[in-house]
Amino acid sequence: MVKELTEACPSTPHGWARQQRHPWLLAMLSASVVLAVLLAAGMGAVRVPIWSLAHQLIGGGSLSTDQRIILFTIRLPRIVASLLVGSALSVSGLLFQGLFRNPLADPYVIGSSGGAVLGASIGVFLLPPISVAGFGTTAMLAFTGALCSITLVYWLARVDGRTPVVALLLAGFAVSTMLSYSSYFLEVLDRDFGTGMRILASWLHGTIVQPTWPQLAIVTAMLVIGLAGSVPLARNLNTLALGEEYATHLGLSVQQTRVAVIVVGSILTAAAVALGGLISFVGLIVPHMLRMVLGPDHVRLLPATALAGALFLLIADTVARTAIAPAELPVGVLTALIGGPFFLYLLRKTKQGVMS
Amino acid sequence: MKPLIEFAHVDFAYGERTILKDLDATVYENQCIAVVGPNGAGKTTLLRLAAGTLTPARGEVYLKSRDLRFLKQRKIAKSVAFVPQNVEVPFSFTVEQFVEQGRTPFLTMFSGPSTVDYEAMRRAMELTDTWSLRSRVFNQLSGGERQRVKIALGLAQQPQLLLLDEPMQHLDIGRQFEMIDLIQLLLHQGIAIVASMHDLALIEGTFSSVWLVSPGEPMQQGTPEEIMRPEILEIAFNCLPHHRPRLLERMRDRMEHAS
Repeated sequence: MVKELTEACPSTPHGWARQQRHPWLLAMLSASVVLAVLLAAGMGAVRVPIWSLAHQLIGGGSLSTDQRIILFTIRLPRIVASLLVGSALSVSGLLFQGLFRNPLADPYVIGSSGGAVLGASIGVFLLPPISVAGFGTTAMLAFTGALCSITLVYWLARVDGRTPVVALLLAGFAVSTMLSYSSYFLEVLDRDFGTGMRILASWLHGTIVQPTWPQLAIVTAMLVIGLAGSVPLARNLNTLALGEEYATHLGLSVQQTRVAVIVVGSILTAAAVALGGLISFVGLIVPHMLRMVLGPDHVRLLPATALAGALFLLIADTVARTAIAPAELPVGVLTALIGGPFFLYLLRKTKQGVMS
Repeated sequence: MKPLIEFAHVDFAYGERTILKDLDATVYENQCIAVVGPNGAGKTTLLRLAAGTLTPARGEVYLKSRDLRFLKQRKIAKSVAFVPQNVEVPFSFTVEQFVEQGRTPFLTMFSGPSTVDYEAMRRAMELTDTWSLRSRVFNQLSGGERQRVKIALGLAQQPQLLLLDEPMQHLDIGRQFEMIDLIQLLLHQGIAIVASMHDLALIEGTFSSVWLVSPGEPMQQGTPEEIMRPEILEIAFNCLPHHRPRLLERMRDRMEHAS
């Protein structure tokens, strides 16, 4: 049966499934992001109609001074922040899932966000985060915190070169709880009950606080570095999915890949935490949804994840700030409410051994 | 015949436990070798040493007269393909995406697979009769299909030597014969094969030589006729017909101690 095939290769009914890429998905996601930005900018206590907004953005000027101030100092920074945070969280989730070879890894679940919050909190108590240097320090410390905690969890959760689900979840839970509550401990040390405490509280709830443009510039730079770093790693993660020994045999430098993923993932986690604090499950939901459409190829998933993550968190944050106006819901509460059940559903599927 | 892999005085141990001692053997081009021996005797270890993923404690392994230790794994993977016994893929990769990984040693950091790579993948899939499976999910394949797809990944590396770790395991008799056919086909294509084998009945007729590893003994090599003889195998596998099997003996001892 096998022998007959050597002489005459059968003519192919269809070509490579691989070549059926999904450019329409990326185009659709980009268009949705633009549309969502326009809609979100219009929503809030002061309504700004979408057409005058679009007009303003392409150079005309049909907005009143009040509208312009609200738009450029309040709404747009917040919108940009949620795009950055969503994108960073989703891509770091994708990277960590590849590293742990486990679709349940998420920067929040595995304690990387917790480490970043602790690092950032130390930063806040050292220097006021409003200044550029202060925010830069905070972001650097968040990165250090994320790096340390993920390294710790990785070391704890690995059994014979594999990361069993239970070990990963338990190690992540223990480390992240420890770290988040250490951040509370810092609160006690704060003598002047000042801004530090308020910022810390908002981080632990996962609120995107009103950012300034210089802060956004720093986080944008971090996101760009993180995304650029992820591009060469995507293919390596596909190879790593076969297991360490197999990947090593195929010529992948497993150790180098691991370190690179941990560093890049931590930059992205730190970027997200510096603006939004502990926002859970975004890094889990977004890559998983896309995997259902695009399959598990990390090369294909990466750009789509970056875009869909931005879109997802923008929608979530807009809902969070408008749903119960004039009060505001921390977006972290919202993602936890959606993500929690989703996580449990995934866990159950994993238990049945049907992973996607 | 040119030598592909040479083992020269190779010792290997996992911690205190010596697996291979003073191994001297050569795999030549176009050879088809079955590695047999009891569990834990070092069949897989031997394959891994040949693939360069394990390094001997003493002695050298040469690939085409070059010491494996000084070759990059990427380079080795272009000549030698190792097909592991079990592969666990945590995501639902399609067969095509799975086989694509065989091109890893040929790709640089930023370049995706080119036409040349797709051609190699396609040929590998056609040889193993897995082309029609290419859009199926690897984890949902049957045991026999999975085995063939794993070999397709190895063939996508365009190797001169294919190392198969227990290729017959978990296959029903029909699939086993298909695998034998496939092995003969690959030999025909000029690919040398070293396979660790559990089922001794499948060796004769296909494999040109047999390497018999047994713990604590030097490896014996020869043609199937020379090695596959009761007096040799009984000692190697420790199942002499006139002896009580050791397991029973030990169990009886233990029960006597307990009472």
